[in-house]
Amino acid sequence: MSDPTRADTVIEARGLLKLYGATRAVDSIDLSIRRGEIFGLLGPNGAGKTTTILMMLGLTETSGGSVDVLGFDPVRQPLEVKRRVGYLPDAVGFYDHLTARENLLYTARLLSIPRRETDARIMEAMRSVQLADVVDKRVSTFSRGMRQRLGIAEIVMKRAEVAILDEPTSGLDPHATFELLEMIRGLKKAGVAVLISSHLLDRVQSVCDRVALFNRGKIALMGTVVELANKVLGAGHPILVEASGVDVPAALRGLEGLQQVVPEGVGAWKVMADREIRATVAKRIVAAGGSLTRLAELQPSLEEVYTRYFEEARRAA
Amino acid sequence: MVMLSKKTQGSKMRRLIALLALVATPTLAALPVLAADPPAAPAVKGLWLLTDYPSQTVRPGEVANIRFKLQNAGLVPETLALSVDGVPAGWKADVLGGGQPVAAAMPGINESTSLTLRVDVPKDAKPGSQTITVQAKGANQSIDLPVTLTIGTEAPAKLTLKARLPSLMGTPRSAYEYTLAVSNDSGKDLTVAMSAQAPANFQTSFTEGYGTNEISSIPIEAGQSKDIKVKVTPPRDVKAGNYPVLVKVAAEGATADQRVTLQISGQGRLALSAKDGRLSGEAQVGKTSDYTLVVSNDGTAPLEEVELSGSVPTNWKVEFNPKTIPSVAPNEKKEVQVAVTPSDKTIAGDYVASFRANAKGESSNADFRITVTTSTLWGIVGVGIIAVALLVLLGAVARFGRR
Amino acid sequence: MPRNQGSREGSPFTGLGPVFLKELSDHLSSTRMMVLTLFVIVFGALPVGFTLQEIRTVTASDQFLFLRIFTVEPERMPLSFVVALNFMIPLMAIGLGFDSVNSEFNRRTLSRVLSQPLYRDALLLGKFLGGLATLAVALMALFLIVFGAGLLLLGLPPRGPEVARGIAFLLVAIAYGGVWLAVAMLFSVIFRSTATSALCALGLWLFFFILWPMIASAITTGFTPAQFRSVDEVLTLEQFSSALARLSPGTLFGEAVLGLLNPETKAFGYFANLVMAQTRGMIPGTPLPLDQSLLLIWPQITGLIAGMIVLFAIAYIVFQREEVRA
Repeated sequence: MSDPTRADTVIEARGLLKLYGATRAVDSIDLSIRRGEIFGLLGPNGAGKTTTILMMLGLTETSGGSVDVLGFDPVRQPLEVKRRVGYLPDAVGFYDHLTARENLLYTARLLSIPRRETDARIMEAMRSVQLADVVDKRVSTFSRGMRQRLGIAEIVMKRAEVAILDEPTSGLDPHATFELLEMIRGLKKAGVAVLISSHLLDRVQSVCDRVALFNRGKIALMGTVVELANKVLGAGHPILVEASGVDVPAALRGLEGLQQVVPEGVGAWKVMADREIRATVAKRIVAAGGSLTRLAELQPSLEEVYTRYFEEARRAA
Repeated sequence: MVMLSKKTQGSKMRRLIALLALVATPTLAALPVLAADPPAAPAVKGLWLLTDYPSQTVRPGEVANIRFKLQNAGLVPETLALSVDGVPAGWKADVLGGGQPVAAAMPGINESTSLTLRVDVPKDAKPGSQTITVQAKGANQSIDLPVTLTIGTEAPAKLTLKARLPSLMGTPRSAYEYTLAVSNDSGKDLTVAMSAQAPANFQTSFTEGYGTNEISSIPIEAGQSKDIKVKVTPPRDVKAGNYPVLVKVAAEGATADQRVTLQISGQGRLALSAKDGRLSGEAQVGKTSDYTLVVSNDGTAPLEEVELSGSVPTNWKVEFNPKTIPSVAPNEKKEVQVAVTPSDKTIAGDYVASFRANAKGESSNADFRITVTTSTLWGIVGVGIIAVALLVLLGAVARFGRR
Repeated sequence: MPRNQGSREGSPFTGLGPVFLKELSDHLSSTRMMVLTLFVIVFGALPVGFTLQEIRTVTASDQFLFLRIFTVEPERMPLSFVVALNFMIPLMAIGLGFDSVNSEFNRRTLSRVLSQPLYRDALLLGKFLGGLATLAVALMALFLIVFGAGLLLLGLPPRGPEVARGIAFLLVAIAYGGVWLAVAMLFSVIFRSTATSALCALGLWLFFFILWPMIASAITTGFTPAQFRSVDEVLTLEQFSSALARLSPGTLFGEAVLGLLNPETKAFGYFANLVMAQTRGMIPGTPLPLDQSLLLIWPQITGLIAGMIVLFAIAYIVFQREEVRA
């Protein structure tokens, strides 16, 4: 690519297409990921996320369109791409009969890392994922979370410019998820562009700078979480109202800027508005004789965006 | 035997007494030296001392053993004391019976006792004749046997040699065997040594008449004759012609010789061999291989019309060039090319091809061991198959490779 | 569908070395390999032991005495060393190869490894070569043990031609192992389940060792005329029967080994030998030189090598067409 902004763009997909027979697994997507950002590739299982990733790595043929990874074409120069891109597959596996060190040593050999550096780089990577103390244990003794971290360590050792993580948090307990997300942030800090694919929207939402929502091989939405929320949910300010002794939707009816009031269980409503209306809401409820127990601004949830989007898409269909 | 000889000898007896001559009967000779009355054939009775040679020649320093007999004809046996008289000074004479000195003898009726007079002649015995008398003395009779020993040179040994067939004809490879009779015409046993003078490179050997052992000498008793055989082997390359061989026998100064002749006629001798002497070769399946054979004539006469033939395994081809050689002179070698083609279906291994040269009455065989090797063509085909397999793989790499 | 495979860059052999070394070290240190080797040694040692005892009592001079260790069938055991190897080598090769690819899928290591700078070509080839090298190491060890035992018990060194034939035998044995390794790897590529793959490979092994001889003889019987009109007719039938039998790699190996270790071998098949000796004027019992023996068994050798390559190529094509995603 001769694009002058290339220095900032690490992955650029144009009209990327993948056909399995007549099925369009990936349907002409356009995508661009910049250096140092964490990009979320989100969507339900089977939406084409993994296929997209494999095409970026040159591990599967493209049926059309083009990809550019760090200035290389994965179709023609997969070795160059794979040398620079770290990949953590969905439910990554290691050789159980080997120790963590031996597993990484094998990768190091495949990467032709000079033998003198190998040991130092392995230890450095293992420390960065807090596995230095188990480096000589067999991988068969590792928990799921440890394996995922070992996968991150492999990427660190590789000194990849781009890290592609496929469902990194699936199957992890909340604590392990938290730790892993911290490590992903660490990667970002080290200047690595990170591409995360996940169907667990809320878990990765917190770390992603930008996301792309996948649906049936297409990117439905792309942008920052807030942008998406504004786009789908409206550029609004959702608030949560908990009150008793009052019919909240009735009390708020006609309020300027109000868009929607949705019940959120007993005595709780979600109120959507296109401007900051918390003060007015409080006044109205109190004026209606109700007792306001909670009035909080809601962060836009990707899940919500997602659900809403697909609901609308279905309705539109 | 005693009775028989008495009969035959009876009629001669008087004549013998009168002549005192030697009677050369091969077995037993009887000479009545002293008798009461001249014996008339069967009726004669009496006692005799008998010897074959009452007069003998001895040499100084020798021991003379004179065999004699005490003969009793029709008398009652009695002990007869034996004594020797007239022994010159320095001489020693004993009567021996059965090898031991005896003092008396007692022959049965119509029997005789063999005795020996052993005389030690001193080395310094003077020439001349000495008479030693042997006496047998019974109760009422006494008989004497005077033996005259002449000191002097002994009668020389005499040998005669005669070939039955002194001239034999044959080829250089024939067997030349001459039978010769050797006679000892002297009075004593002789050990006869034999030798033969033959042309250079002729080999001679002697065997006993009908025996097979090679000998160089043979003992012959006095007066006896024996057959010996001499075998002469001429060298293979001998030229045609007559070759004399002088056979000699010798014993104690006596010699005799006889010339025998080999009449050797010329003959061709055929030999077939490989040029380099190696009777083996290599050939490839289905391909003609040439070998050079050598036909040679080791004989003495030329060989005419030498024909070559060969027997090879089934379905093989064999060709000679030339097929026929018009003539091979003695000691000449001629080369023949033989082309052998193993059949297409031959498998690798060792095979025998037999070549044969044939001339009139002469033939020679040479067995050739031919190692057949398979063509490397199939090896190349095999490599080709591997190459095709590799091409398939390369095609797969080109089509599906580098993913 | 693939627009531009030809334009892919980089050597397909990138990363071959590390894959090969890892496979080799994995195999050599694995318990499975130890069990297999033990198995083969026990099966090989028994006939060799008996044979050596028998050979020691034979005083007749034999210029290929050393090679008899491998080929003589001891009286106490209807199994010679090479026959034992004939069916042990496939077992060993299957044991090494039946899970080489599908286990990578099942352990979910495949996509991680393939995301490193190497092509699948190198992965499969490295695995195959690693397995082949493992076989070679095991066979070499076995071979040296037998040679050593022969030296020790016979007390005489093998002659040059015997050593050369022994080495050729070793190479043929490795090629034979390669055929079965390729079979096992093909199944490991086709089937995701290692158990299915192992079952299929072992089934094929049993088929070739038990069923195929029967089928071949049944087919031959079908072609046998009621009455033979000529010797050549009998020969043709025997050749046909041999050709059928040679579809089994075991037959190819057996014949190749016979030609190598029994220098007197000039033809395969009982009748062919009889005819050659009796009606075609061959001197029986004379050994062939090594190059002629090699030419004799060249079709067998090339058959084994070509078979190995073709089977590997099939496994390769199937593997290349597969999707990496587990």
